[in-house]
Amino acid sequence: MIRLLLAHQWKEATRSSVWQKNLAINLVLGFFMLIMLLYVVLIGFFMNEIVQAVKPEANVVDVVNRSLLYYFLVDLSLRFFMQELPVLGVQPYLHLPIGKGRLVHFVLWKSITSLFNFLPLLLFIPFALRMLPEVYGTGGAWMWVAGMFLITLINNFLTLYFKRQLVEKPLVTVGFLLAVVGLATLDYLGYISVGTASAVFFRALGNNPILVLVPLAALVAVYLLNYRFLMAHTYPEEMRVGKPAKVGDSTEIGLLQRFGEMGTLIGLEVKLILRHKRPKSTTTMSVFFLAYGFLFYTNKVYTDGFAMLIFPGIFMTGFMMMSYGQFVPGWQSAHFDALLTKRLSPYTFYMGKFWMFVVACTAAYLVTLLYGFMPGVGIKIMAINTACFLYNIGVNTFVILFMSTYNKKRIDLSKSASFNWQGVGASQFIMMLPALLIPILVYLPFGLMDKPWWGIAAVGVLGILGFLFHRQLMGVVVQRFQREKYAIAAGFRQV
Amino acid sequence: MIEVRDLQKNYNGVTVVNIPSLVVQKGETIGLVGNNGAGKTTFFRMILDLIRPSQGQVFSKGENVRATEDWKRYTGSHLDEGFLIDFLTPEEYFNFIGKLNGLTPGDVQAFMDRFRDFFNGEILEQRKYIRDFSKGNQKKVGVAAAVMSDPELLILDEPFANLDPSSQIRLKNLLKDLKRQGMTMLISSHDLSHVIEVCDRIVLLEKGKVMEDMKTNETTLQQLESYFTV
Repeated sequence: MIRLLLAHQWKEATRSSVWQKNLAINLVLGFFMLIMLLYVVLIGFFMNEIVQAVKPEANVVDVVNRSLLYYFLVDLSLRFFMQELPVLGVQPYLHLPIGKGRLVHFVLWKSITSLFNFLPLLLFIPFALRMLPEVYGTGGAWMWVAGMFLITLINNFLTLYFKRQLVEKPLVTVGFLLAVVGLATLDYLGYISVGTASAVFFRALGNNPILVLVPLAALVAVYLLNYRFLMAHTYPEEMRVGKPAKVGDSTEIGLLQRFGEMGTLIGLEVKLILRHKRPKSTTTMSVFFLAYGFLFYTNKVYTDGFAMLIFPGIFMTGFMMMSYGQFVPGWQSAHFDALLTKRLSPYTFYMGKFWMFVVACTAAYLVTLLYGFMPGVGIKIMAINTACFLYNIGVNTFVILFMSTYNKKRIDLSKSASFNWQGVGASQFIMMLPALLIPILVYLPFGLMDKPWWGIAAVGVLGILGFLFHRQLMGVVVQRFQREKYAIAAGFRQV
Repeated sequence: MIEVRDLQKNYNGVTVVNIPSLVVQKGETIGLVGNNGAGKTTFFRMILDLIRPSQGQVFSKGENVRATEDWKRYTGSHLDEGFLIDFLTPEEYFNFIGKLNGLTPGDVQAFMDRFRDFFNGEILEQRKYIRDFSKGNQKKVGVAAAVMSDPELLILDEPFANLDPSSQIRLKNLLKDLKRQGMTMLISSHDLSHVIEVCDRIVLLEKGKVMEDMKTNETTLQQLESYFTV
């Protein structure tokens, strides 16, 4: 039975259209994942040297033992935010003659396959094999690893339980989180020492293998807790993570209403962003990227030249536009047919996007002006960012919108944001290149002639020209959209 | 109102729609019937310029729908959930569509009041997004939005599906009212009796071809039933 369920899960994964269509991207992603895991293994293997480098005097095994519980605390909080609840589509099985208990066990066991559970193994097994046998003997080393893995699993099931309770009885979860935070605070203030407890426990574990029963018993307890909770909640409507969204009062942004149809369209898009996880996190990310400049502006190697300042300028003032714009009109794939048939011309549709980008770039630009306060280079940064901003609203807006007509992949907005490659195609990668490279190419000849300020001015002037002729440029975009819309709409209809 | 010339759509060498000629007069109400895969939705999509025909043209008021966008001004349509914006509440959606059609908030309010009966208290003031509604209620939202701007041409794909019996009857009455006002309609349906009751002309599609094209009368239902009996 379990084998059949596993087979179904495997089929669900490999037959999902996202996987099949983006095989190349998944391969690339898998490759990076492997490299990352390799790093983790290497860190584990050279933990001895790393600790020695930081604290030359200390006993490495003691240091690791002391920090393990802290590690698990961090692990727990990371899981709380990032680990997805395993939701086997239980619904299609519930009416079949399969015991509920089995399904619940399956859902719970499936959660063990989460990457979070394997990271500590990769990290600590190399360490344990290399360092521990001489301290605890081989048996003791393996018991140490076992105890560590059991605690990992306890974390796993604690996360599942309290994340589910978040919907059912939020107070329980809040209480648990407060307890964890309280523990950390007490430790910080020095009333108790998690480190000492950690050291004592893991040292004892290494010396006295029978102690492995302690985390084992705890694990069984948490597992049963989960099991009983899920057994009581197998009704599909209760299995759902998160209740149906509560709707507040309909918020029309008054200012937007003044801009007629364009305002209506932008208002719609703002709602789209605010009411879905993925576009929301995409736009939130771009706020953080406003700090990107510090990487460049604090380094004299960059601030002495010009070309390397154009890059952060374009990037910061345009990141919101680029990160969101690269998926336009895919964000609206679910209601794309509506947009095509309602009383709305493609020209207006794209104009709405254009003005939205202009507003986004302007907002980002105003924030980057704060870099002007940086001593010495402030004025130069402001001038370059101004040129980049103009270039972004005059030229890059159209580059992004023109490339957007190559987007033919549906985006399901209800899916989560992290590691979601839906809607990503070759055009996303190609799109960023002209947007980032062309302004530098424009600057380059002037830079080579040793007239850098002329180059910056050229970038800015190009932007102004593009902005002045935005109606004409938009015509080109719309023309291409008209040719491509059938293919785009057909792509978006494929769920 | 609508004229179809030599219309064909092929997918991988299979012809799914093949209509050499079909004319819909102003004020006519046409019911499109046919089994699954007959090409009804594909045909509608070509009228609405959502699919590029492999061959032939669709003219709306004498203009090729692919050449101009004028038809959007007088055409209301609802084919499937893809026509809804599912992260809006019904009120927000109606207001959005209303604005596109140049209606004032007052007009939209008046429209919603007019449809209160049809909505049966399940659509408005629910504080729910459209995506959280049942299929039937989503359909009501879509149909209502389609007729909101008093279009001259109305295109509905299976409007009766997923509706409860009372709502089906309400919808039937609504469509008959609109017909009396002179609205041109194209309605596909699997429910033969409903579609015959509403429409005064029935077009029967099979494998993309028009098999029958008749005015409705007392014997139409019998004729169709005998056609579909296997």
